[in-house]
Amino acid sequence: MNQKDRKTTSVADQSAAPTEEISMASESQAPPAERRRRPRISTTPPAPAPPPVLDDYEPVIGRTQLDELRYLARGLRTKTVKMVNSTAVGGGVAEILNRLVPLMNELEVLTKWEVITGGNDFYEVTKGFHNALHGAEYQLSKEALEIFMTYNEQNRQRMEFAEDLFVIHDPQPAGLIGSREPNRGRWIWRCHIDLSNPHPDVWGFLRPMVEQYDAAIFSSPSFARQLAIPQYLFYPCIDPLSEKNKDLEASYIQKVCDDFGIDRTRPVVTQISRFDRLKDPVGVIQAYKMAKKYVDCQLVLAGGGATDDPEGAVVLQEVMDVAGDDPDVIILNLPPWSALEINALQTASDIVIQKSIKEGFGLTVAEALWKGKPVIGGAVGGIPNQIIHKLTGVLVHSVEGCAYQIRYLLTHPKFAAGLGRNGREHVKENFLITTNVKRWLLLFEAMLGMSRAA
Amino acid sequence: MASVALPEGNLRSRWARAPFYFNSAAHLLRILRQQASTLDEFLVGLQTVPDDSIFEHTFQTLQEHHFIREGFSNDFAHWAFASCNEIELAERLAGVDVREFTSIQSLRDTLVGIVEAYLKANPPARERQAREKFYFRASDTFVVPTPLMARNLPEFVDGLQKVSIYSIHYHFIDARLRLKLANNDFSIWLEEELDLGQLADRLNRIDIYTSTLQDVRYSLVHILEAAMDRPPRSRTA
Repeated sequence: MNQKDRKTTSVADQSAAPTEEISMASESQAPPAERRRRPRISTTPPAPAPPPVLDDYEPVIGRTQLDELRYLARGLRTKTVKMVNSTAVGGGVAEILNRLVPLMNELEVLTKWEVITGGNDFYEVTKGFHNALHGAEYQLSKEALEIFMTYNEQNRQRMEFAEDLFVIHDPQPAGLIGSREPNRGRWIWRCHIDLSNPHPDVWGFLRPMVEQYDAAIFSSPSFARQLAIPQYLFYPCIDPLSEKNKDLEASYIQKVCDDFGIDRTRPVVTQISRFDRLKDPVGVIQAYKMAKKYVDCQLVLAGGGATDDPEGAVVLQEVMDVAGDDPDVIILNLPPWSALEINALQTASDIVIQKSIKEGFGLTVAEALWKGKPVIGGAVGGIPNQIIHKLTGVLVHSVEGCAYQIRYLLTHPKFAAGLGRNGREHVKENFLITTNVKRWLLLFEAMLGMSRAA
Repeated sequence: MASVALPEGNLRSRWARAPFYFNSAAHLLRILRQQASTLDEFLVGLQTVPDDSIFEHTFQTLQEHHFIREGFSNDFAHWAFASCNEIELAERLAGVDVREFTSIQSLRDTLVGIVEAYLKANPPARERQAREKFYFRASDTFVVPTPLMARNLPEFVDGLQKVSIYSIHYHFIDARLRLKLANNDFSIWLEEELDLGQLADRLNRIDIYTSTLQDVRYSLVHILEAAMDRPPRSRTA
């Protein structure tokens, strides 16, 4: 079979005819695993579900934990909070704020969420900053600095700063600290990105701004910088009630597997991630092939990025080439609104892999752990925060290590189940939205000097 | 197992001189400046970090990893094992039982002593690069009252079953640092307010390193219910 013709399940491919279906090569030429039913996924994003209320979390974390949140919020009821970021939709920060802000308000901690505005030139500069802060090459120009400061100044003039607490998310609005008044309000900078290896010029520009805040928050100790202000650790979080993480009906999970041609009578190993070299999908296939000499299994590679990102399409083609005509390698190119399908794929898996070579926090690991799955993760970025080696999952550093762990976990199901059990508890303890709410309440108390700290 | 000789009388109807108020605790994590890439740097960190960092990596980490039944003792031992591959050092650090310490200073001295002795016997280990850095954190503790209180053993058992595992950790493990005694809040209340010294002693001997905090809760309840001649409950009750 010509690998160019190898079919992936590419749902909602905008470049193809209006399709809710698999874009596929000739049915007659397709190998058995490719004669799949056509998954029914909308070509447009569905309307968002209404956000959960606090009581909805009781079955997940228990009444005592909800009572604790309410107790911690009690002293903050007369306080006001403003959260500011750079986008209302898309991206992990907006996703978290969409859940966090309603919960804080339900707890009667009056929390506003405002979004800064800027022209294309501003977002080009901040995208460059973002990549540079992740360590990419960057030429910091005087013009870029002026654009950054001009838009920050415009937003500063436009917005009011009358609250008790200000939480500024990420570098884009960091310049709002210029509105700080002496002895009034507390300012917190929440950095969601990995600053372990920033471009020195860009960080040299931002650092004096950051050090005017009262505190900074990082997602992992390894992402932080040496700063003159206190630094706090807030892990990113998942929402156990979101479409990506809520419990699903067994019949729905089966339907998704049937649609995608996944045989649930045999082991399923899955990696969910964009078709991006940093996620090492090719390495995952190589590991699967090594493991398959000893254990029977299917490999599911599901993700997006191949439709809207030219490099993603190239990586997807590489992945298909490496997969060859193996009918047990199932490659799914999904649209961004496939949360339920991703949930079903993770839930149906025997092992979930996140074999990244470079990673941010890698919340797909927490998603899989929450579903009680044994996870094999690359020891990079925030993954070691989620996987304690051999206790809540296994960490690997090579294709060979990944292959060995696939073999080991599939042949030691009791050990694998124990990892999954521990992993779910680890997520419950550290990576749920409710834990995140608690951290905010504690930090606000500490910042306002109303700490009940022992 | 030897049975506990209890004072005469019906324990179920005995009233405590003062009630037991169940509290809980919440923790805010700070990232400190100190980090270590080698055991030499790790030793300096152990010697210089604030007390609340030693607390975080020993006492508090037990709560954060409360679900692990075996193979986890404290962050220092885990790092020595997983990132430095110094198995002997890891074993020695893991053998430190926080319940034997009533002050952070004495715990710190013990940890420093273990690392110093190991490096003296294994000089090449001093500067060997760890696979992952150790990042020192610290923990700010916030006490959170609960609505639960007990005036007698049945109410006490009821409370133990309802409180969060954070409350169990606060009263049963953290208490040592507050009390400056090798004891816990539960045992002290039983002894001082209900004159149940032997029962108190039995609770204090529950092993926290081979149990999850849910196991600890189960053991507490099991011992107390047996003392009240109640039939044992199923583990999920």
